[in-house]
Amino acid sequence: MKSKLLHLMISIVVISMLITACAPAATPTAAPATQAPVATEAPTAVAEAPIKVGASLPLTGDFSDPGSAAKKGYELWADMVNKAGGLLGRQVQFVIYDNASNPDTAVADYEKLITQDKVDLLVGPFSSKLVIPSSEVANKYGYAFPEPAGGAPHVFDRGLTNLFFCQPASSDTQGIPFVNYVLSLPDTARPKTFAVITQDDPFTLGVVEAMEPLLIAGGLTEALKEKYPPENKDFSSLAAKVADKNPDLIIGGTQFEDSVGQIKAYIQAGYQPRGAFFSTGPSLPKEFNEALGTSTEGIFSAISWFEASTTETNPEFVAAYHAMYGDEPIAEDSANAFTVGQVLQQAVENTQGLDNAKLIEDMHKSTFTTVVGPLSFDEVGRPQGSFMALQWQGGKSVIVAPDYAKQAEPIWPKANW
Amino acid sequence: MQAGDDMRCRQPAKTRLSMSLPSAHLLIQTLILGLLVGGVYALMASGLTLIFGVMKIINVAHGAFLILGAYITYELFQTFHLDPIISILITAPIFFLLGWVVQRYILSRIENPEQTSVLVTFALALVMEGLLGVTFQTNMRSVTPSYSTAAITIASYRLPVTRLAGFGAALIVILILYYVLERTNLGRAIRATIQDKRAAQLMGVNVAMVSAFTFGLGAATAAAGGSLLSMIYSFNPASQGDWIAKTLSIIVLGGMGSLPGALIAALILGVMEQLTAIVITLYWSPIVFYIFLFITLIVRPQGLMGETVRENG
Repeated sequence: MKSKLLHLMISIVVISMLITACAPAATPTAAPATQAPVATEAPTAVAEAPIKVGASLPLTGDFSDPGSAAKKGYELWADMVNKAGGLLGRQVQFVIYDNASNPDTAVADYEKLITQDKVDLLVGPFSSKLVIPSSEVANKYGYAFPEPAGGAPHVFDRGLTNLFFCQPASSDTQGIPFVNYVLSLPDTARPKTFAVITQDDPFTLGVVEAMEPLLIAGGLTEALKEKYPPENKDFSSLAAKVADKNPDLIIGGTQFEDSVGQIKAYIQAGYQPRGAFFSTGPSLPKEFNEALGTSTEGIFSAISWFEASTTETNPEFVAAYHAMYGDEPIAEDSANAFTVGQVLQQAVENTQGLDNAKLIEDMHKSTFTTVVGPLSFDEVGRPQGSFMALQWQGGKSVIVAPDYAKQAEPIWPKANW
Repeated sequence: MQAGDDMRCRQPAKTRLSMSLPSAHLLIQTLILGLLVGGVYALMASGLTLIFGVMKIINVAHGAFLILGAYITYELFQTFHLDPIISILITAPIFFLLGWVVQRYILSRIENPEQTSVLVTFALALVMEGLLGVTFQTNMRSVTPSYSTAAITIASYRLPVTRLAGFGAALIVILILYYVLERTNLGRAIRATIQDKRAAQLMGVNVAMVSAFTFGLGAATAAAGGSLLSMIYSFNPASQGDWIAKTLSIIVLGGMGSLPGALIAALILGVMEQLTAIVITLYWSPIVFYIFLFITLIVRPQGLMGETVRENG
C-alpha cells in the first residue's frame, strides 16, 4: 500500500515537473488564489493602522485581461497616495481577491471583505455582470461602492444610492459618438445596412441596443442581429452568416477575446465591411494590436480615457504608471480603476473620515478631479459626461470624436482587414 | 429607469427561438466548415476511444492532455516560431512517454480500474488544470501563425487555412493510427486485447505492455489534437472541461472503443454544431452535443459502431 502511494506521489511530481519544465518563459507571478489576500503595501513606520481598502477582481477567467489592468490602477493609486504621506495621515493597504470572473464568487468575496477582513472602504470589480450583484452586498452593509467598469442600464435601474460609476458616462452611451459620426457622413458614403453581433452580456447589450434605434432612425436597415454566449470560441459559422448578408457596417458587442475571434472569422469568411465598431477590444491598446496586427486598420471603438489627454492629474498618472509598470501602453481599465481611487480619496478628504454614510452623501454632491476629467454623479451614481470615439490608424488608436478631444480625422471607408 | 425596464421587457420576444432558412450557398459553406472541424474533433476523440477499447478506462484527463498539448505548442511557437503542425512531431513523442508513465505508474496500480479510473483520471485532470493555471495563468491564448486568418477560395466557398491544415493533419494521424492497428503485430495485439483481454493474455500477448503502449498512443493523439486546437480556438486551462465533454459525447455516439465510429460521430457532430449555429442560434450549438448524447443513450446505447457491452466475468 505504501509503495503504491509512493509511486503515485512520484508520478504526480514527475508530471508537474514536466509541465513546469515546458514553460521556461512563463512569468512566476501567478494569479493569487481566492483564499489568499494580496497585501499591496506593507505599512512602514506609521504608528496608526493602515486604511484597508477591499476589492474582488476578475484576475482569472473571461475578464482576466481588463481585471488585471484594473488591479494595476488600484495598486498604483495606493502607491501614489502612500508616497505622498497617506490618506488622513494613514497608509492605504489593499485587500484584493480573485473572483475568477464569477459573479457568485465576487458576492462571497465582498461579504468576506466586509465581515471578516473588516475593510474600511470598498472599490468595485470589473464589468456590469460582477458589479450588479456585488453592489447589492455593499449596499446591504452601507458601504460606498465606487466602481470602474459597471455601467450597463441595469446597474442604475435598481435605484441603489451607494454606487458610483467612475467613467465619464454610463456605458450604454459609449457607441453614440460613433453613431453620430456615421450619420454625419454624406449620403454617398453613408452605410445602408448594418449587422449587430453581440455577446449576451449586460454591458455589451447595453452598448449595442442604444446604437440600434439611432442607426435605424438615421435610415439604415438592420440586416442581421445575433447574440452568442460569453463562452463561445468558434465564430466561423456566424461569420459565414454575416458574409452571406454582407452588411455595410458591422457593430460588435464584445469584451476582448470575442472581438478578436469575430474579426479573424470575418477575414476567413471574406467579409469586408465599409465600417466596423466593437465595444471593447479595440480599446485595449497592447492586446488588440498583438492579436490582429495590420488587420486593426480603420476599426472604431469607444473609450473613456486616453493616454495623451492633458486633463488635470492625468500627466502625473501616466508618468507614475510607466515608472511602475514599464513602457507598455496603459489600458483604459487601469485609468478607470485609478479614477475610482481618486474619487474615494477626495471623498475621504472632504469628509475627513471613513464614515461610509458621509462618503456616499459627499459623492452625490461633490465634483471630483480625475484623470477622465471633472466627474460628478446623479442620484443613482450615473456619471454626467460623454465617451469618445477612437479609431485604429497606422497601428495605433487615436481619438476621432468628439471635436474637443480629437487627435486625428476619422478614415472612411475602412481598408480591407 | 423607465427605459431600462422597457428594454428588458422587450427582450424575451427578440430572443425567442426563431429558425431562418439559410441560402443554399450559406448551407454548403456551413457544411464545409462543419466537416473540417469534425475532422479535428475526430483526432481529439480517437485517443479517448482507443484507451477505452483496450482498458475499459475513461480517461477524464484527456481534455487536460489536449490543453497541455496546446500550451506546449504555444510556447514552441512563441519561443522558436515553430509552426503548430510541425510541433506535433515534438509534442506527440513527449506525450507518448507521458502517457506511458501515467498508465504504468498510476493507472496500472489502482485496484478495480474499470470503476475507480474515472476518479483517478478526474483527479489528474484537476491537478493538471491547476498546474497549468499556475504556470501559464488563465488568460485566453491562441497560436497565430502567419496563415491564421488566410482562407482558400474554391468555387466561391471559403476554406480557412488553419482548419484545412487541421483537417489534413487529423486525417494523416488517424490513417497512421489505423495502419498501426490493422497492419502491425502490435496493432493485432491491441485489437486482441480489445476483444478479450484474458484470451489475449493466454495467447501470449503482454497485456500490461499493450495497455501502457495504448495509453501512450492515446496521449500522443491528444498532443496532435492540442497542437491543432491551439491555432483554431483560443484556450485557457479551464477549457479542458469543454473538450472532455465534447470528446466524450463523440465517442459515446460513435460507440465506445470504435475508431471508425468516433470518426463518423465527430463529422456528424461537427456538421450539426455548425448548422445549428446558422439555422437556429449559436446558443444551441454546444447543446447539440448533449442532445445527441441523450438520444444515443436512450435509443442506441452501444453507439453507432459499438458492440453491445457484455459483462465479461
